[in-house]
Amino acid sequence: MVPADHSQVAKKNYLLASLPDKEFERILTHLSPVSFDLGKVLYESGDRLDYVYFPTTTIISLLYIMENGATAEIGVVGNDGILGIALFMGGDTTPNRAVIQSAGSAMKMKAADLKAEFTLGGVFHNLLLRYTQALITQISQTAVCNRLHSLEQQLCRWLLLSHDRLDSDKLVMTHDLISNMLGVRREGVTLAAQKLGTRGLIKNVRGTITVLDRQGLENAVCECYSVVNAEYNRLLGRGISRTFA
Amino acid sequence: MPPAHVGGSDIFDIGIVRPFLCRLLFTTRVEIQGDTMFEITKPNNSLLAALPPQTYQAVLPKLESVKLNAGDRLYGPGDDFTHVYFVESGIVAMLVVIDNDLTFQCCMVGDEGMIGVPVFLGIKTSGNRAVVQCPGTATRMKNTDFFEECSTNSDWSAIMREFTYSTIMHIGLSAACNRFHNLEARLALWLLMTHDRLRSGEFIITQEFMSYMLGVRREAISKTAASFQQRQLISYSRGDFTILDRNGLEKIVCSCYQPISVH
Repeated sequence: MVPADHSQVAKKNYLLASLPDKEFERILTHLSPVSFDLGKVLYESGDRLDYVYFPTTTIISLLYIMENGATAEIGVVGNDGILGIALFMGGDTTPNRAVIQSAGSAMKMKAADLKAEFTLGGVFHNLLLRYTQALITQISQTAVCNRLHSLEQQLCRWLLLSHDRLDSDKLVMTHDLISNMLGVRREGVTLAAQKLGTRGLIKNVRGTITVLDRQGLENAVCECYSVVNAEYNRLLGRGISRTFA
Repeated sequence: MPPAHVGGSDIFDIGIVRPFLCRLLFTTRVEIQGDTMFEITKPNNSLLAALPPQTYQAVLPKLESVKLNAGDRLYGPGDDFTHVYFVESGIVAMLVVIDNDLTFQCCMVGDEGMIGVPVFLGIKTSGNRAVVQCPGTATRMKNTDFFEECSTNSDWSAIMREFTYSTIMHIGLSAACNRFHNLEARLALWLLMTHDRLRSGEFIITQEFMSYMLGVRREAISKTAASFQQRQLISYSRGDFTILDRNGLEKIVCSCYQPISVH
């Protein structure tokens, strides 16, 4: 028997919320809530996947690990998605590192249960495939953004992506962690964050960044942000952006 | 609907190859009016080759061989998919387009792969641009037929899931590579990847095209290519590229280089 409040919590995840009642009730029996602290590593590159996660309030960063240990974020998964697509794409292990970028909760599901549900075909199966395409778009756009746009623009994109996936305007996040995500030196992040602070877009206070002027960030960000949002809208029928949705 | 094109001619249909004809005619390599065709019963494309023989035989009537000319655009952002393409030879570049102007290659597809992953995922229009980087041939299939196969046949869906996942990793790697590695390493990577997929160190490509692919100004490509030439790693003259010293390039390339397994 599933506790009644699980249903409410699970529906904070867009993918789960978009399932028809029948499928939702069935999937719900496989889900259990879990919460994560900032910086927790959900899995390392090469790890076997025992669970997949549907974030409800937490944000998970997908990091690519270079041979020398340097990391760069290739995608972000929040209440818009699912962590663990490797599983239904045929791999049991993952070449990425998944790390909690913002503390919060998720619903977890056993790998075997997900595989069984995926194999059934139907709405859930199709939804996961469409989400995969949305993630591909996000990763491709990150690649372009890394090539073509300034650190300041990228920081704006990163802040907006995070802001969209949070209930609050406060992001608990050190410049050190951001530098790991963006794959740049911490000094670079600090400088870019100061610039945004001076323009009154954000407030930096010891490990917390507060979004003061969302519209200002949207004016300063590169088009990669709206491109990805438009694609999510097209593919999943729902954008992620707080303002563009 | 004829595909739009950049600097090349439209895709030229060689024609629908019927299965009985294949068995009769194409069991060996044959020349048809100067176009070399390989026996289609043994596809060169790794994905088609990975299908069990009976599954492959069953879709043969739905397959069509097409020529890929340099610069052909298979589709662009906003286009409806009409076909998916299994590359048999040559290379197709997947590009992200920004503001209709800036482009950047997020994925390179040779005979190890196919163009049309979104169709498998249930998407009807393209978000990317697919352009022929090096000429060759492809086997194409109507998007509706392909989607039907993937939805009803587990051989197809298993192969496509795996390929989709490797594509995601490929794109992820190119995101990370762009962050950390300089143009010299990235150009070496691009040349080695091209070499692997063509199994030939000689190809025709303009520096302008390379600048579209790598997302840098043409001047930067010229400078780096000149430096490679000076070090006798490559020779380059009016679009003719020759890799002279593959080992040398392998010493320059970043850790992102992963040789594709040659079947």
